[in-house]
Amino acid sequence: MAFLDNSGDIILDAVLTDTGRFRLAKGDGTFRIVKFALGDDEIDYGTYSRNATTELKGMTVLRTPVMEAFANNAGSMKYKLLSLTENTHLYLPVIKSYANGNSAKFGSGTAAKYVVAVDKSTVDEIVGTTQLLTTGVLNGYQPGQSDHLIIMDQGLDTGNISQAEPLDSQLRETQYSINMDNRLGAPVQPTGTGSPSSATVSFIDDDNIATYILSIGTDKNYISELPTTIDSSLGLTSISGPVGTRLAFRIQASTSLRTNNYLFTVLGNTGATSIGNMSSYRYIDSTISVTGQTTGYRVDVPVRYVKKI
Amino acid sequence: MASIYKTLSSNDITTVRDLLHEAIPLTASIVSGTYGDNNIKVYENDLFESVFDYPYLSSSANHIFDLTAGVSNNSPLSGAAVAASLDPTPKINIYNEMAQILAGFDENGSVREFDRDGDLSGGEQLREVFVVNFARLLTKDEIKKQSFTLQVLTGGTVTSPDSLMTISDYKALTQYKINSPAGEYGILYTGSAATAGTGVGLIYYQAGVAILTASLFDGDAPNYIGPNGANSSVAADNFETSIDLFSSGSISGSADAFRNRLYNISFNNTIEINSTIYFCRANNNEFNYSSNPTYLSASQIVVKNDPQENPLAYVTSVGLYSADNELLAVSKLSHPLEKNPTDELVLRVRLDY
Repeated sequence: MAFLDNSGDIILDAVLTDTGRFRLAKGDGTFRIVKFALGDDEIDYGTYSRNATTELKGMTVLRTPVMEAFANNAGSMKYKLLSLTENTHLYLPVIKSYANGNSAKFGSGTAAKYVVAVDKSTVDEIVGTTQLLTTGVLNGYQPGQSDHLIIMDQGLDTGNISQAEPLDSQLRETQYSINMDNRLGAPVQPTGTGSPSSATVSFIDDDNIATYILSIGTDKNYISELPTTIDSSLGLTSISGPVGTRLAFRIQASTSLRTNNYLFTVLGNTGATSIGNMSSYRYIDSTISVTGQTTGYRVDVPVRYVKKI
Repeated sequence: MASIYKTLSSNDITTVRDLLHEAIPLTASIVSGTYGDNNIKVYENDLFESVFDYPYLSSSANHIFDLTAGVSNNSPLSGAAVAASLDPTPKINIYNEMAQILAGFDENGSVREFDRDGDLSGGEQLREVFVVNFARLLTKDEIKKQSFTLQVLTGGTVTSPDSLMTISDYKALTQYKINSPAGEYGILYTGSAATAGTGVGLIYYQAGVAILTASLFDGDAPNYIGPNGANSSVAADNFETSIDLFSSGSISGSADAFRNRLYNISFNNTIEINSTIYFCRANNNEFNYSSNPTYLSASQIVVKNDPQENPLAYVTSVGLYSADNELLAVSKLSHPLEKNPTDELVLRVRLDY
């Protein structure tokens, strides 16, 4: 009689993340583990040999060396495994930046980014005599004074399925998280001309990364259903196939960026490439991470905060 | 509904306690040899001296234990006549401090003396003692019972001792005492056949303190003991008995004398590790897809050709989350593990405190 194969039962030692230690030290009961997720950050599925013989298909992937755990909560578990009830899915949705019209980026190619003008003098300098904010520049001083915004579309980005087909309801994102440096700015409503209110922060971790959880039920201003009649060929969405939801927001620059140059000195640099009429400025490059809470798909949006010198 | 998190139920979480032990050897070469006295720190108050494992002025030095000496108020050595050449008060104060912490107080509020057999109702007391206070760096949570051994050189002179005496907490695993306010302690004997009442000291396991009677060195004469060790002549600086030493020397002098007779100390420490184990169960229909950007090419899954093929994904990490989806702990697998609908996994993730 052979021995039982118990190789499916594995013991792993966990390390606390910096946020875990932070919450443990606070002693206010916020350190409570209630759920888990599985991640595959190191895996490059491009090395999977789909057409090889069965035993060789995943050989390269299985040989991928795995890094030790690191304690930065924002740097671990970026890509998570997903549970779906059917095994017959051949396509999964993505989240894509819709960089067109009012949501176009500044610059082109891989250098394209959103630029946030942090104070009034910066906005005035960029606008100059044109009275128009340059494409890709967001008014971080008074977001309500500009219709420039960031838009992320979700859906199956493939030409193999008609856009008229509805997206499987279990693949439709109804909740997004936005992670961004709290010292630099905060997301605000994409509509309204007055002083649009900021999103409610869910928590700020020890590295000043703020997390905003937005749900379609409670944050209708931010998340909307994309109509199935939307036509990507007309440039109305960045998704080529069946569409899900759209996340939109503007950015309010932080008081710190508006009122002093400390963070620009510590984290940033100076630039001379013209932005509108402005040719001399301080800047900080950062990213805003948008993650679908249903499918776990995550995309990083490059953002440059600028301030006139 | 698609999901990337799975809630842990009460059946998925358990706590365990493990005891880890490390062997701690302390040789005479560290205590009085290799570094001269550069690893011995003597304080201005002269109430104790500290032993380091390296010259203490170096940042690499670790404090390993303190040495001091004390006499009871009831000891003949506390009397003015005997101690005329030296004020006995510091040794009495040290004895009382150690005794009130380790032996406690009697029903009248008086400090108990260290009891030779641990039976507080009678028997002899240890009234002139050497005290070895081990650093927590070595003892950790406690000294493991029946693992403590201390060897001292006895007889002859400091430079030419006659014999080696081994002192240990024999049978302590089953015969330790619990009537101390500082936790459990064992009796130190000079041999495994030693009987009750013949102990030469006490070892307090949780406190990490060894109490040794000064009479250890009062057996076969001559049994010289002195603060200057091999560097001094017998007649000039060393004393014939520990009584002479205690009544004539300072605390640091007594501690130095003990160091010069110390041959070896060894024990096992104990580290108590409390762990929570999370059973992360991935059922056959869970975690078979990935949100990794390389998993898709134009939204199509790259690991399958047609919809009827089973999906698969590879696990390299397990993240433990709070209710608000904040990553609190993370663990890594040694290599990627395939997950597909024909497999179920139980990943036991242990978080130590």
